[in-house]
Amino acid sequence: MVYLMTSLPSLSFDQVPPITIDEFNDEAKSQLSARHFRLLESVDIQQLNTEVGKKSIASFLQTIKEDLAEVRKAKVQNRQAQPVRLPKSALVGNPLEREIKILQWQWQELLDMEAGKTFTLTEVLVYKLKLQIVSRLHSFNQKEGAKVLASMVNPAKNKEDN
Amino acid sequence: MAGIKIKYTKTERARQKKILKVSERMLPLFEAMEKSLMATINTIAERIEQIREEIEKNRLAAEPWTAVMSDSWINIGEFISVNKIITKTVDVAGVRVQQYVNVDFNVMPIHEDTPLWVDDAIELMQEQLQLLAEIDCLKEQINLLEEELLDVRARVKLFENRRIPNAKLAIRKIGQKLQDDERLTIATAKVVKTSKQKEGKL
Repeated sequence: MVYLMTSLPSLSFDQVPPITIDEFNDEAKSQLSARHFRLLESVDIQQLNTEVGKKSIASFLQTIKEDLAEVRKAKVQNRQAQPVRLPKSALVGNPLEREIKILQWQWQELLDMEAGKTFTLTEVLVYKLKLQIVSRLHSFNQKEGAKVLASMVNPAKNKEDN
Repeated sequence: MAGIKIKYTKTERARQKKILKVSERMLPLFEAMEKSLMATINTIAERIEQIREEIEKNRLAAEPWTAVMSDSWINIGEFISVNKIITKTVDVAGVRVQQYVNVDFNVMPIHEDTPLWVDDAIELMQEQLQLLAEIDCLKEQINLLEEELLDVRARVKLFENRRIPNAKLAIRKIGQKLQDDERLTIATAKVVKTSKQKEGKL
């Protein structure tokens, strides 16, 4: 655990991911026991898999799931959302701003979770979740996003332009 | 008129007069139809322009957040697609066309792990795709109306340049011929009468 964590580059929100998820997985596979690596594989903030052997992480992912569900339910019912842990300020702004605020909140929660857990399995699991967050944040791109929208709403025109 | 043989008879003159009467009655109708089609085409073109402005307005409104659509976790194309554009047949300026009603979408169910922006993107795409579908229907309407307009214009030209002038010319020529014939008959009769009178004196 110690060797793995010291070999990994540090992560910070807003930075270009210093390694890819695949590189991280390869590194972790070579350093962790099979049991720990299986646990690491099951941790995923994208899939929000709550069947994780770490209670704190499972609870965190479950909260994200429930809060997203509450936000959607409130929208359908035309009322203000009452998420359990997600700050209401994260629900203000345009979809991009909201998504970034949600990621910031998740990042902060993960920082709290790993505090005092240096060189433990929790730190490794949190590292993966943080890496997923920065990788996702880095994928937000104005030009590419506009291309995606154009390809969806006007594929014929898009083809002509190309 | 060139190459057309005219029968110089009273029956033919009556027939040509009838053609002239019908043509002069039909011409204003076709001219009115032409104006109506042109006005309708212009109205539809204006509507297309309005819709295009609406699409652009929506695009500009979404521009500040389109970056999120390149989210590496999501392929938005998997969430929404057009199943069918629903139209109804209506009569526009005397032409049967398809009028836009709505778009039937295939929208995939949103799961708990789906990021919230996907909901907004689906709403935006539905709005834009509906507007684009309406433009397609309107363009098709313009195509059909323009075909009809060409047909009506051809008829107007036919009446203005062929039927009416031809009928008028035929009526005039037949009239002159009949008048000449009548004069000739009278003159011949007079000559016969004069020669008979001379014979009697002798």
